[in-house]
Amino acid sequence: MTQGDPEYGHLSPLLEKYAALDPDDPRREALRDELVTGFLPVAQHIARRFNNRGEPLDDLVQVATVGLINAVDRYSPERGTDFFSFAVPTISGEVRRHFRDLGWSMRVPRRLKDLHVSINTAVSNLSQDLGRAPRPSEIADQLGVPVADVLEGLEASEAYRSSSLDEMLSSEQGSATVGELVGEADAELTRVDFQQALRPVLAELPERERTIVLLRFFGNMTQTQIADKVGISQMHVSRLLAQTLDRLRTRLDPDTRSG
Amino acid sequence: MSDPVAPCSRPTADAPPLRTSITLPQPGTVLLDVHGEVDTLTAPPLEQALSDLLAEQEADRLVVDLSGVTFLASSGLAVLIRAAHRAADRRLRLRLVTASRAVRRPLQITGSEQLFDMYEDVSAAVD
Amino acid sequence: MSDLDFPTSAETLDGVSTVEVRTSANAALIPTIRAVASDLAARADFDLDAISDLRMAVDEACATLVDVAAPSSSLRCTFLVRRERIEVRAEVNAGQPDAAVSTDTFGWRVLQTLADDVQALRTPGVDGNGPTVGIRLDKHAGDAPR
Repeated sequence: MTQGDPEYGHLSPLLEKYAALDPDDPRREALRDELVTGFLPVAQHIARRFNNRGEPLDDLVQVATVGLINAVDRYSPERGTDFFSFAVPTISGEVRRHFRDLGWSMRVPRRLKDLHVSINTAVSNLSQDLGRAPRPSEIADQLGVPVADVLEGLEASEAYRSSSLDEMLSSEQGSATVGELVGEADAELTRVDFQQALRPVLAELPERERTIVLLRFFGNMTQTQIADKVGISQMHVSRLLAQTLDRLRTRLDPDTRSG
Repeated sequence: MSDPVAPCSRPTADAPPLRTSITLPQPGTVLLDVHGEVDTLTAPPLEQALSDLLAEQEADRLVVDLSGVTFLASSGLAVLIRAAHRAADRRLRLRLVTASRAVRRPLQITGSEQLFDMYEDVSAAVD
Repeated sequence: MSDLDFPTSAETLDGVSTVEVRTSANAALIPTIRAVASDLAARADFDLDAISDLRMAVDEACATLVDVAAPSSSLRCTFLVRRERIEVRAEVNAGQPDAAVSTDTFGWRVLQTLADDVQALRTPGVDGNGPTVGIRLDKHAGDAPR
């Protein structure tokens, strides 16, 4: 799909070249910059999707770009997977992780958050010195704070992990209906720039095949999860995906391949 | 080949506090993210999620991110150990990401950490 | 140690504070009991591993007992907070006359590893009631502080 895309098609050979280069090849850096710059709109789109959640867009774009860099670094074309179906979840994952960390910082008072950081440091220093796990009183001594504060800090660190912080971020799967999931996957698709090329082809697919492709590549679901949602076996999903991708490839390649 | 019976997580209003989700961070790698407390009530949904993870036949790298887990009882350990054996049948070792004492300690004290490849953060485990 | 206070438990003359928690014998309530256990251990200045171990041991003991408890009975959990150690006694009224804590399970092995001492308790029931089964465990605070 990358190949046939007018906006990103030219980056495909660069991805292959990049993946083939030796890790310490001096040409890598320039090539990586070119790839990251080229795919930057994808990172920006994903970042925008998480906008209006109280975080500056600039920060989100920065986090998404880190995800993009990871995707470029880890992508291996010989696996036969399209770059987008690999990069989109990688980038979204990075942004989600950012929100998860942030969730803790938003809900926990600043004072406790700072305390948590210093407790963590004290715990690892003391464990090393003592050769065992420290006691709250030892942590308090080390930090020069009352034991009560340490207890509060330890409790807060438990509380933030067990609370359902990432509810808004992980609620996209689980109890959602197929319709909702397809809706979300579809929305994800509109945020990806190569949709113009893909959309008409997807529209030609029978509904079930279209659902499966959307869930797999834009809903970030596994074959097993799709199988469960759609009510067929994982083997069946796998077969349908293979057939469908074949179809998409032959439909996309002859008339949209640029150059 | 039987069809899967349940999704990896099906939260309801009174569901035990455990959240799981499966993602594909990169080709060949499947990541199961677990959040919450794993005890007798929540071990069964974890077991289901692990089966879903193991059902990903194309993957050769199976990662279970437990950094969001704040409690791990023996029932949870047992489920993880069974999953490690099932992975071993496919000549794979499960990769566990553990960030907290609440998870590391039970694994260490029972010696079960030897069954897994252990990581302290998820980016190292999926690499 | 002496500058620590125990806001949740009253200290008696022999230096033992007693905290008792009673819930319905329902697995959904065990998180509350294990939270009490880890709070008591933290306030008694147990080292962080010992806190974690006690929390897990109490969970294990309660889960084992809830399994054999009679329907709509209760689970009683008593914490005796002593200097440098906590003793826990958990008990339920069992549903079946021959009910007992099984000690040949993975869970029991974990419990033995976590606690410094652990025992299964059993008192035969009278007048056709099921027996009272319980678990007593002891956990030390960890190596002495500097």
